Amino acid sequence: MAELRLDCLGEACPVPLLKTQKKMEGMKVGDILVVEIDHSCAMKNVPEWARKEGHNVEIEEVDDGQWEIYIEKTK
Amino acid sequence: MALKNNVYYKKFLKEPWSYTAGAVVLAALNIGMFASTGKPWGVTSPFATWAAKIYQSMGGHPETWAYFKSAANAEALKNSIWLDLHSVSDIGIIFGALLATLLASQFKIKKIKSVRQVIAAILGGLLMGYGARIAFGCNIGALFSGVASMSLHGWVYMIFIFLGAWAGSKLLVKYFM
Amino acid sequence: MSEVVQKSIKTNSKSKKKVNQIPFGVVLLIGLIGFGFFMANQSPKSAVMWVFGVAAGFTLQRSRFCFTASMRDPVLTGSTSLTKAVIIAIATATVGFASIQYGAVIKGAEKIPGNISPVGIHVAIGAFMFGIGMVIAGGCASGTLMRVGEGFTMQMLSIVFFIIGSLWGAKDFGWWTNTFISKTKPVFLPNLIGWAPALLIQFGLLLALYILADWYGNRKSE
Repeated sequence: MAELRLDCLGEACPVPLLKTQKKMEGMKVGDILVVEIDHSCAMKNVPEWARKEGHNVEIEEVDDGQWEIYIEKTK
Repeated sequence: MALKNNVYYKKFLKEPWSYTAGAVVLAALNIGMFASTGKPWGVTSPFATWAAKIYQSMGGHPETWAYFKSAANAEALKNSIWLDLHSVSDIGIIFGALLATLLASQFKIKKIKSVRQVIAAILGGLLMGYGARIAFGCNIGALFSGVASMSLHGWVYMIFIFLGAWAGSKLLVKYFM
Repeated sequence: MSEVVQKSIKTNSKSKKKVNQIPFGVVLLIGLIGFGFFMANQSPKSAVMWVFGVAAGFTLQRSRFCFTASMRDPVLTGSTSLTKAVIIAIATATVGFASIQYGAVIKGAEKIPGNISPVGIHVAIGAFMFGIGMVIAGGCASGTLMRVGEGFTMQMLSIVFFIIGSLWGAKDFGWWTNTFISKTKPVFLPNLIGWAPALLIQFGLLLALYILADWYGNRKSE
């Protein structure tokens, strides 16, 4: 049950989602990935992708225009 | 502050709208522009006008180019940008987006992170600027308004913008990530 | 968007104390309205476009609408949500556009209104260049303007070069006109095949593309 972090601050679409997809591949079921983003579109498309894949997702706005997306790998 | 927890504040101003809601509102706005001014929405023509105005102020003579000989372009170059309808809407887009970001309390200056982003911004900007001039528009003027105008050039544009995006995606993954 | 997960997976929350930006937004809104009234005195048409422009920017940002992603995401991430949204936008706009155009035709307009431009190899080359550029720069024209408003320095740089590129394109436009564009002409589908077939083909193609996008989007997530 590891918790990994992925720093995507300053990255524009589609880089955050591509990095997240790649990182998730190498993770075990139950692991949690925290994606740090400040791209307003990524706070919509990263969770959308993760939910579609069936993972558990939570978003937190940690600062003005900056989010952390928690993704728990479920399969 | 109570407003921040208000359910309608969250729904309309804080959380993102669905893509479909955006699509329908943008279509309505485009129809509105077409109906009220006689011209559908376009974004990129003003960029050439602005650049030409700057070039003129530096002593250049873009008014002798074939592009600025056409009636519409010549008029846009001669008049104030506040009389050029799409210049006005372009500036409006910037302020509308700023307004939406501030009302959601999500404004943040996002700094450039790396040299590759600088190169990407320069190359991408030049390609789009040049491409939009010879294709008669951008994703708004040629794709959105062009296809909706039932013009064949809009459909041709759609096929090749997709091929371009495919090639761009390969380049992005290879060099800009 | 539902954020309900049975058990919270968030660990140590490091939420900072945020600045409330809403008052700045309200002040900006008042300023934008005031500027609109000022402009209405000079040129009513400009004021109308000001309102439409601000509304469009607001909508683009609120819905995270992105024409670039509609073309790029199917290739890169397998998502077609925005592709479908763009098809819906085009189809909805067609209803209004066709009505305006048909109205103009029965009133005897010589030139059909709308964005109807010459079609030829220049459109293919220009669109291909634009497609590469928008993916690399992370936004097309409307997307770049919207992101400038959101505070992205990368897009502020890209718009400067977008403007320079436009000047370059305008300078070479004469060559493109002589070599290619002058040999082509605009094609308005209803003039080519008639109104009813044109509308049938238009909506038929858009529906087919929507179904294709939906199928592709679902297939990728398997």
